[in-house]
Amino acid sequence: MRILLVEDEIELQKSIVQYLDYAGNIVEAVSEFRKASDKIHEFDYDCILIDINITNGSGFDLVKELKQAKSKAGIIIISAKNSLDDKITGLDLGADDYLTKPFHLSELNARIKALIRRKNFEGGKAIDINEITIYPDDRRVLVKEQELDLTTTEFRLLLYLITNKNRVVSKNSISQHLLNDDDIDQIDNHNFVYSHLKNLRKKLVEKGSEDYIQTIYGIGYKFKVND
Amino acid sequence: MKLTSKSILYYLVISLPLLIIACLFSYYLIRSELRDGTDEILAREKLSAEKLINSSANLDTLTLLPDSFFTVRITSYHADAQQYADTTMYDKVDNELKNYRVSKSFYNHNKTTYLISILKPTLEEDELAEGLLSSLFLVVFFLLLSFLLVNWILSKWIWKPFYKTLSTLHDYELKKNELLILNPSNTKEFNELNDALIKMTDKIYTDYIRQKEFTENASHEIQTPLAVIRSKIELLIQSENLKEDEMLQIQTIETAANKLSTLNKALLLLVKIENHQFKEANELSLKIHIENVLKQFDWVLTDKNIQLKTEFKNDLLFKINPELLDILLANLLQNAIRHNFKNGTIDVKITNRTLTISNTGDELKIKPTELFERFKKDTTKQESLGIGLAIVKSITDVYNINVTYFYEEKHHVFQLVFPPKD
Repeated sequence: MRILLVEDEIELQKSIVQYLDYAGNIVEAVSEFRKASDKIHEFDYDCILIDINITNGSGFDLVKELKQAKSKAGIIIISAKNSLDDKITGLDLGADDYLTKPFHLSELNARIKALIRRKNFEGGKAIDINEITIYPDDRRVLVKEQELDLTTTEFRLLLYLITNKNRVVSKNSISQHLLNDDDIDQIDNHNFVYSHLKNLRKKLVEKGSEDYIQTIYGIGYKFKVND
Repeated sequence: MKLTSKSILYYLVISLPLLIIACLFSYYLIRSELRDGTDEILAREKLSAEKLINSSANLDTLTLLPDSFFTVRITSYHADAQQYADTTMYDKVDNELKNYRVSKSFYNHNKTTYLISILKPTLEEDELAEGLLSSLFLVVFFLLLSFLLVNWILSKWIWKPFYKTLSTLHDYELKKNELLILNPSNTKEFNELNDALIKMTDKIYTDYIRQKEFTENASHEIQTPLAVIRSKIELLIQSENLKEDEMLQIQTIETAANKLSTLNKALLLLVKIENHQFKEANELSLKIHIENVLKQFDWVLTDKNIQLKTEFKNDLLFKINPELLDILLANLLQNAIRHNFKNGTIDVKITNRTLTISNTGDELKIKPTELFERFKKDTTKQESLGIGLAIVKSITDVYNINVTYFYEEKHHVFQLVFPPKD
């Protein structure tokens, strides 16, 4: 997958590149409007991540350019502004998603994957991980060809872990992903993550799956698969 | 005391002694005039008495004016001048003492000296005093009346711009993001006052705006370094060779960074609410929104085994920004969950235009009045940021919703009274 990142905060840029740059991903990063504009006309990307406030220009204008060029790339806006107006403007211009800073890299990764699936009409396609098969659009999971009955939350949890497989995903990131919240005063969510994870693990193992989910002491979980 | 009443009082305090002095003065003046008149009459009567003495032989039959007491005696003593004096005599008819003016004079006729004394009642003088006193009261009464009238006119007309300014100031709120507008008047002092006030509030207003802009910009600027910190933490935890205690420390950093970013978002939200940046508003059903928000909390209700009871006697429709309504409800309900017991209860009730959310819980350690202030929180609840209710307060302030809190029978109760539909 070819990804372009337009972000002028260099350290954040480096982090994102480092996180996404694995398993066949090619990630390019630029921090300036003109360079970004050149890049999008030069290459075809699968996904473009655009910060609204970039050097010498606005991310919105890049989105416009992409749409004028009839680009097929998925566009995710990443912005420090958590404003509904900006969100609406971005989506109206043709962006596919909007993520507010600060975000978890695992969340960004999940959004990219989901977007690509939608773009490439891969929704019907299954994600296979050894004995586990997931149909994201139908919200179905098979373990060794047997239907696994999961709640919505458990399903989303599994998908999130698998999307970020072999990565440590923090409890905070999981709870924010599952609760969909930009919430203000957080209720202590760790219990919530823990109880859902416990159930998911139990259900998977009961159906004969290997126990892929590792607990990383103190911080979170990892879906560990040997490729 | 009102300014006009105060000025009436001062007018009265000063004018009353003056009036009394004026009355006393005029009393003595008029009395001496009257006395002169009486004395003149007495002098004339004396002359006619002398004539009578000349013409008459029998003194006993002498009569003069009907209301004067007239006596003529033969005396050996003699003085030239006519003498006047005041005296009192008992009046048998009226059964009281009465004041009289007496004139004594001597007259020689046929080598006999006669003492002529004439008495004249001085009723007029007494009545004069009484009359003056009652006229004093009358004057004071009318004076008071005219003061009231004048003051009424003054406050109605002359002081009108002042009271207008006062009421404008009363209603003025920085939070409404408006400059103070005061109408010019034709009184110099009031114009000066208005100018000074406008200058002052404009200064306060620009400072206030600048401060808010600063908060907003600072919050935005904080987001980027926070994003860097959080992304680095996420990369760091991918490391395979971290020790357990190192992981724990990283987790502490992550939690703190998360807290900082939610806090930052909350502050930004507060600024935006206060800046009225949530403009769009629709008539929304509270019932539907409460049910939606409650769905988000399903898991935690189950987790804490909290009994939720909803009682909607009617639906409450209210014109509000949908985002803000959800934030308002989520904050209140989250609060009801957080400050609850395991196996506790939450009651959500709508009656007419009142929404009541009550939950079981320990009494607060902070004063209920401080509850809606920023960063006031129960220190025993670590995960709380202490800003949720400040957000509730600022949303309700924007929409004129009256929110009250009380603790009753081991229940925390939040009551929101929505303004009537227009």
